[in-house]
Amino acid sequence: MPAITVDNLTKSFGQALALDDLSFRVKEGEVFGFLGPNGAGKSTTINIVLDFARPTDGSVSVLGMDAQRNSRDIRQRTGVLPEGVKTYDRLTARQHLEFAINSKNANDEPEALLERVGLEDAIDRKAGGFSKGMSQRLMLAMALVGEPDLLILDEPSTGLDPNGAREMRDLVREENERGATVFFSSHIMEQVEEVCDRVGILRDGEMVAVDSVEGLRDSVSGGTSLRVTVDRIDDAALQAVRSLQDVTRATVEGEDPPTIVASVNGSKTAVLSTLEDHGIEIQDFQTTESSLEDVFRSYTTGTRPEVHAQ
Amino acid sequence: MSTETDAVGESTDSRSTSSRIHLGSILTVAKKDFQDAVRSWLFWGLSVLFFLLLVGIAGALSYFGEDIAAQGATTDALVFFVSQVTKWIVPLIALILGWKSIAGERESGSVKILLSLPHSRKDVVIGKLLGRSAVLSVSLTVGFVLAAALVAAFLGGFDIIDYGGLLVMSMIYGMAYTSIAVSLSSLTRSTTIAGAAMFCVFLLFYVVWNSLGVIFRLLGEREFLFFDTVTYTQEFQGQEMMAERRQDWTYFITNLDPGQAYNRGLTFLTDVDLLEQGSTTSAQMFGGELPIYLNDWFSFMILLFWIGVPLGIGLYRFDRVDI
Repeated sequence: MPAITVDNLTKSFGQALALDDLSFRVKEGEVFGFLGPNGAGKSTTINIVLDFARPTDGSVSVLGMDAQRNSRDIRQRTGVLPEGVKTYDRLTARQHLEFAINSKNANDEPEALLERVGLEDAIDRKAGGFSKGMSQRLMLAMALVGEPDLLILDEPSTGLDPNGAREMRDLVREENERGATVFFSSHIMEQVEEVCDRVGILRDGEMVAVDSVEGLRDSVSGGTSLRVTVDRIDDAALQAVRSLQDVTRATVEGEDPPTIVASVNGSKTAVLSTLEDHGIEIQDFQTTESSLEDVFRSYTTGTRPEVHAQ
Repeated sequence: MSTETDAVGESTDSRSTSSRIHLGSILTVAKKDFQDAVRSWLFWGLSVLFFLLLVGIAGALSYFGEDIAAQGATTDALVFFVSQVTKWIVPLIALILGWKSIAGERESGSVKILLSLPHSRKDVVIGKLLGRSAVLSVSLTVGFVLAAALVAAFLGGFDIIDYGGLLVMSMIYGMAYTSIAVSLSSLTRSTTIAGAAMFCVFLLFYVVWNSLGVIFRLLGEREFLFFDTVTYTQEFQGQEMMAERRQDWTYFITNLDPGQAYNRGLTFLTDVDLLEQGSTTSAQMFGGELPIYLNDWFSFMILLFWIGVPLGIGLYRFDRVDI
């Protein structure tokens, strides 16, 4: 039984279509990275999964139950870290956790939970004085209440410094080893690649790719990425580079000076000589192994690539 | 949670379990809401306000009101004067307390904390109503209890029934306005719109509803449409006289005002003569027997209506919107 099943989900707000016939599955016991730029529809999807919003069409089931009809039972077994939410200023960290513990009829200890997120020293302080990172840790602790079968983390790294983000990933791993399925949204690839078994990339309300991290890396031509800084660029030169046999993709970043980013499978010198043939002066160039960030960028910017089969 | 919920989730899959009301959830939400509000200066400010109101009026009565004191009707006077003030400020306080209750949490997003936990939307609305009502009720109680000793000292003893009646009636009255406020707050995610709605409620009951009696009478005198006046016989100093009054149903409308219901409820709970003298209707006007809705006890039905109907609308609407 999948932990989350999204079937032909459509959500429109008036004229605007936020989700367009979205379908995907999150398997039980996996860490699923839900990736996409801001505005792609990640939060809308999560809102429907949690019954904060109702679908225009399609259906969602969570832990084998209907997301609309059985939302309370779903939320009883789910830990949620909502995005962009303010904690209650006048309640202490302990009171926040007691509220979550009472709400779920769980028997966790607030101290132990706060220790896991590194906030034990602030247990009796009011959340009104917390930094963004502290609030985020507090809400993560609330999500852990009651050993949930499913964790839904919406942009969990928001407000966390690199150290905090790493601790958060460690927690995700711990929870996953305990047996929890983790559904984790982010707009930054590097946060998900380390911990996720599979990644789904959302763009304009549609899933453009769902694969393992390795699979995704392979899907975008696998090769290397070449960055060439030039004095100027024109369409003819760019077209010439794109038409090279070994080049799968070429885009221009920046303007002053422009940088050509090309995915290359074979000879890199062909790119450089083509540019020079067009009278363009090369100021600098470097090659990098194609990172997941490039993969993500290739799926979410520029022309839309073909949908990669699930 | 218990296996009971699990069983419900699986066996009756075709029916919704999400929008059910769950007492445990309601109380958890109410408790959180109370804790959240009770820490604010507002709560203590209110307690002090009620305390000062009681002590101030009791002090004034003992200073100026020697005649009243001589008649031993000091608690009567206290209840009367205090109720004339609370009639105006309790609604104002309830509206201020309830204004942001749900709209504020939607605006800041913290309602997602509530709804990420296994609470239904109905639990949240009812829990909020109870939590906010508790803030008002507890601050009233703190003010009344703290003031009791001083009031007794000023007035040389007091009638606990009248004093307690005023407290209980103010709580019910406050809850009616809290219900109106919380429900309106649940209809929008903008605290600005919610605030405007509170202001409209204030105008509706303070200005519009209060003038309805006068408007109905004027229309009746002009025999406008169906506002025609009714003639009745009245005994005045042993003589029978003819008098005119408004149509029965107009009394029903004017009596729907929670403030009217507060006065009548107080008349029912306490035996303060001053309140009864203030009543503008008598059985004589209706041929010896008051219509049911003009009985003092009926004011509890009216306040119940003002608690129940807004709550019902809030429950219905909030269950169906996107957060």
